[in-house]
Amino acid sequence: MLKELFADLHLHTALSPCAEEEMTPVAIVEQALAVGLQLLAICDHNTAGNTAAVQEAAAGRLGVIAGMEITTAEEAHVVGLFPSAAHAQAAAAEVLATLPLATAVDLRFGEQLLLQADGTVCGREPHALAQATSFTVDATVALIHRHAGLAVAAHLDRPSYSVLSQLGLFPTEAGFDAVEVSAAGRETKRDRLALLGLPLVTSSDSHFLSDVGICHTALWVAEPTFAELARALRGDGGRRCSVA
Amino acid sequence: MNLQELTAALELTALTPGTSPAGELSGGYVSDLLSDVLANAPADGVLVTVQVHLNVVAVAVHAGLKAVIFALDRRPEEAVVQRAVQEGIALFCSALPAFEIVGRLYQHGLRG
Repeated sequence: MLKELFADLHLHTALSPCAEEEMTPVAIVEQALAVGLQLLAICDHNTAGNTAAVQEAAAGRLGVIAGMEITTAEEAHVVGLFPSAAHAQAAAAEVLATLPLATAVDLRFGEQLLLQADGTVCGREPHALAQATSFTVDATVALIHRHAGLAVAAHLDRPSYSVLSQLGLFPTEAGFDAVEVSAAGRETKRDRLALLGLPLVTSSDSHFLSDVGICHTALWVAEPTFAELARALRGDGGRRCSVA
Repeated sequence: MNLQELTAALELTALTPGTSPAGELSGGYVSDLLSDVLANAPADGVLVTVQVHLNVVAVAVHAGLKAVIFALDRRPEEAVVQRAVQEGIALFCSALPAFEIVGRLYQHGLRG
């Protein structure tokens, strides 16, 4: 039995240097429940270190997909969504290995907090997460697929850090599973991006709690899980997604 | 060439008027790929770019740059300007494309 669910498939935690420290697992989950979301994806920059903690904080009250927002060598952002936190961590290990260690200057632009479900700080990511990895766009999509994930071209409407802004044209041969339009661009850019012929999602890309739920993707699925999302993107068995 | 001479010679708009790191500019670099800037821009130099987000300031601090010139009249958000002031990086804006700006810098004796 299919039902309509609201998903926000791109949120950051305090692990991302550019995100606020208020973005703890428990705070994100409570805020998401308060604004009526049923499925989230946690996508910190070049790491998946807090995904399991957010899944634990959710405690089954809503679905939480383990993801990661990878900065490609061309400085384009690509979101990877994975079937489990273990898959995401395995992909993240490959990504992190290509980054330098963070210096005092990096940390001046934001801490990289590893958190427990309740928000307690349990460590700090040593690599410089704001920098570009060695993976090209094609290699990034391949990496995500190798770890059984879905590859989404992030905020394709934005003038910086998007596949379009960095490459100038959309690499159809790369094999993306979906493209994302930002909250700001979903009214004006949605129709043009739909011409790419890939499923379109919209996500908040939240770095602050107040951004959670500013937009959502509607999914017609059986339950809020990675497997159902994958089927919705393929249009399998009547499942579908829509940018509201 | 110091920052005062640079501003006058290229008719730049100063976005951080109170911030003017002293001393001679060591050279210049032009790129929109920040990982490239990080690896190759000369310390105490000036960067010409069309990127206007916060990471430009972070990279400028990393690379030890004195100033950034935004080409094609690109304007950063106020938070980016404030952060540059805090970090002591001078920001400028020019209506010219990057190629023109770099050509003029070279004409005025600045090298890569």
